[in-house]
Amino acid sequence: MSVANGFYTVRLVFSKTGRAKYISHLDLYRAMTRVLRRAAIPLWYTEGFNKHPYITFAAPLSLGHESVCERMDFRLTDETVSMREIVDRINACLPEGLKAISAAEAVTKASDLGYAKYRLRLSCSPAVLRAFLDQPSILVEKKTKKKGGVKTVEIKPHLKDVSVEDADGQAVLTITLPYSNDMTVNPTLLLTALSAFAGAEVTGEACRLELFDRHGAVFA
Amino acid sequence: MPTLDDLFLKVQKPSRYTGGELNSVMKDRAAVDVRFAFCFPDLYEVGMSHLGMKILYGLFNSQPDIWCERVFAPDTDMESLMREHRIPLWALESRDPLTVFDFVGFTLQYEMSYTAVLNMLDLAHIPLRSADRDERFPIVVAGGPCACNPEPIADFVDIFFLGEGEEVDLEVLRLYRDMKKDGTYTKAAFLRRAAQIEGVYVPALYEVSYNADGTVAAVTPKDNAPAVVRKRIIRDLDTCYYPESFVVPFTDIVFDRAQSEIFRGCIRGCRFCQAGFIYRPVREKSPEVINKQAHDLCASTGYEEFSLSSLSTSDYTKLEELLPMLLEWSEKEHTNISLPSLRVDGFSEELAQKLNVLRRAGLTFAPEAGTQRLRDAINKNVTEEEIFRTVTKAYNAGWTAVKLYFMMGLPTETLEDVAGIASLGQKLVNLFYQNPDRPKGKGVTISISCACFVPKPFTPFQWEPQDTAEQLAEKQAHLRESVTTKKISLSMHDNTTSYLEAVLARGDRRLCAVLEEVWKRGSKLDAWSEHFDHDRWIGAFRDLGIDPAFYANRRRSYDEVLPWDHLDYGVSKEFLIRESEKARAATTTPNCRQQCQHCGAACWKEGVCVERR
Ligand code: SF4
Repeated sequence: MSVANGFYTVRLVFSKTGRAKYISHLDLYRAMTRVLRRAAIPLWYTEGFNKHPYITFAAPLSLGHESVCERMDFRLTDETVSMREIVDRINACLPEGLKAISAAEAVTKASDLGYAKYRLRLSCSPAVLRAFLDQPSILVEKKTKKKGGVKTVEIKPHLKDVSVEDADGQAVLTITLPYSNDMTVNPTLLLTALSAFAGAEVTGEACRLELFDRHGAVFA
Repeated sequence: MPTLDDLFLKVQKPSRYTGGELNSVMKDRAAVDVRFAFCFPDLYEVGMSHLGMKILYGLFNSQPDIWCERVFAPDTDMESLMREHRIPLWALESRDPLTVFDFVGFTLQYEMSYTAVLNMLDLAHIPLRSADRDERFPIVVAGGPCACNPEPIADFVDIFFLGEGEEVDLEVLRLYRDMKKDGTYTKAAFLRRAAQIEGVYVPALYEVSYNADGTVAAVTPKDNAPAVVRKRIIRDLDTCYYPESFVVPFTDIVFDRAQSEIFRGCIRGCRFCQAGFIYRPVREKSPEVINKQAHDLCASTGYEEFSLSSLSTSDYTKLEELLPMLLEWSEKEHTNISLPSLRVDGFSEELAQKLNVLRRAGLTFAPEAGTQRLRDAINKNVTEEEIFRTVTKAYNAGWTAVKLYFMMGLPTETLEDVAGIASLGQKLVNLFYQNPDRPKGKGVTISISCACFVPKPFTPFQWEPQDTAEQLAEKQAHLRESVTTKKISLSMHDNTTSYLEAVLARGDRRLCAVLEEVWKRGSKLDAWSEHFDHDRWIGAFRDLGIDPAFYANRRRSYDEVLPWDHLDYGVSKEFLIRESEKARAATTTPNCRQQCQHCGAACWKEGVCVERR
């Protein structure tokens, strides 16, 4: 562990389920700041006029989606608190639906994120889903960085580790999607394409299962 | 039918409806005797900022046999989904509909929230009128400052709590629990017995009769209800319950911080200010207690900011003792202290520096009136010299913007007083350019904000007419003409809301019908200008044959029976008449610490009334 520049960076893995899935990204930032303060973690504050703790999230989650693999980085001023204790202290202060799973010194840079694995419980049948996935090509409309801009993107080659299960007639899809600076396909995009294919709105409950780096290793 | 979860994703800011925030209280339904739905008749962002609600939420939930939950008015997007799918209003913690609760309680902070009360009852599928609710429905209670004249919403509420709720609320809840347990409970029997508790007003137990001229003839109690209901106060703030934690919202709210109450009441007695009279007498908390409560709250919430709460921070007698205690830990823990309504004058140089008093106080003044004569008439004790002194300091320190708050339509106000607002602004502009030490290369901005005066019950101005729309328009035009420099920016409030506030603040029970009618026609979030529709109100008055000017613009005589005369807030009518006469003579009244005025509040033998002077 290294305390260069007076701080070192801890990466917390936590889940966000149940009532907590309605916490927006901005609100989560505020809530977590207060959780860390409540937990009396020796937080490192930025210098300057408007001092604030350094906290970032690797991969913002869509509102309404659940996750068991969120990553939050924050900086500590000293290393006397063990990782185990950090997790315990944070868990004692978290609101319903948020739960700390593990903590370790951050290794991979957020810019090296590559993929995210999801489970989607869908309102359509497994047959419809399979037909959708078996298409030779799946085109979706994606917003571009330019305001109001859209472009059509082929996503079929990006769908990895696909598995379809049947849960009482409803399709449950497990899938790994790209999540990187170059290319991101989020489950909502997939649902939009699926709805267009099915000719009726397909809804789904999404849960993010794991994040991976560019090489396919677990994001640590 | 869609579930609540289905709705959450279809609306703006869903975390306003989901509950589950940090420190929200969950209990086992089966393990409590009394369930209380605490309703704030406005949006989550507003209601969650309110200190009184946090105190009572904590207090109720500190009782093992009570579970108190929170309810707010839904925003319009959520409301239309609820109505479309017939989903009743729910409480945030359990997500149970309000109909399963024993009590549904509203806090009445401003008159323009009354239609939100009706709308929330309706959304909860609870009949609006007390007379239409039998044992199957919750008891509807209400408190807060507007309860000092609750007559305009008397038909909708079973019980009003007058004054500070910490003790009386629990007494009523315990009576309910005991009557349920011993099998003597019926709604009527419960209300009759509750009315015997001091501070409890059961409007159904009072008959109001009217004179031919429309004024109140008499308010007659029945079933042994007391002829006069006196408000309750907390005698010792140091030992009174104060929450150790606040619910910490996810979404951004108006005041998102910890708050420590430092005293209740106000010594000053500004004649337009209802809070200065209905919260008497001033009672302070000791610095040690405040310090501990503030520190505990910050620790349990993780808030990065806390503020001292009172009507006037500078009047706290032990501020110089308290602030160093607070600074000792707050600096270490990166917690900011905010000190609202602080007077910059009167700090030691050292503490002023340390606190950066100027930055905290901001350059905001509330002279309320433009001339010394009118300031004397309203007993607002701010002098031009004091403002000049502080502003000069600020200019020297590099400030270039000053904000001034005024009221228009104050009793005895003339066009000369109105022009005085502009000339006070002009003097501050001149002060800037005459100051050799002013920030170089910069201009100055004086922002003047002007609200319309609303006469309120239990103030020396309770008999006064509000200026008519024409009078106010003339004064506003005069002020606009009196401002001759671009350095002054002028913002004047629209007077249509103030007009309805004036009607409702001093209204009687005949206004219940108007409220119900205007709600039926679509009013529900009147405190928000984008939802407020003046014409809708005027139309409802017209169609029901009720003249709003009778309530807003009529001068009452001292011997008229006022709709709130059967309620007692400690201050006597004789005292208010004395103050009213002094206002006409533009004579000031010393504050409670300078010289007791024998207002009546000494009946409690507490606080400033028994301090050594
Ligand atoms: S009795 Fe005297 S000291 Fe007490 S509140 Fe009234 S005026 Fe102030």
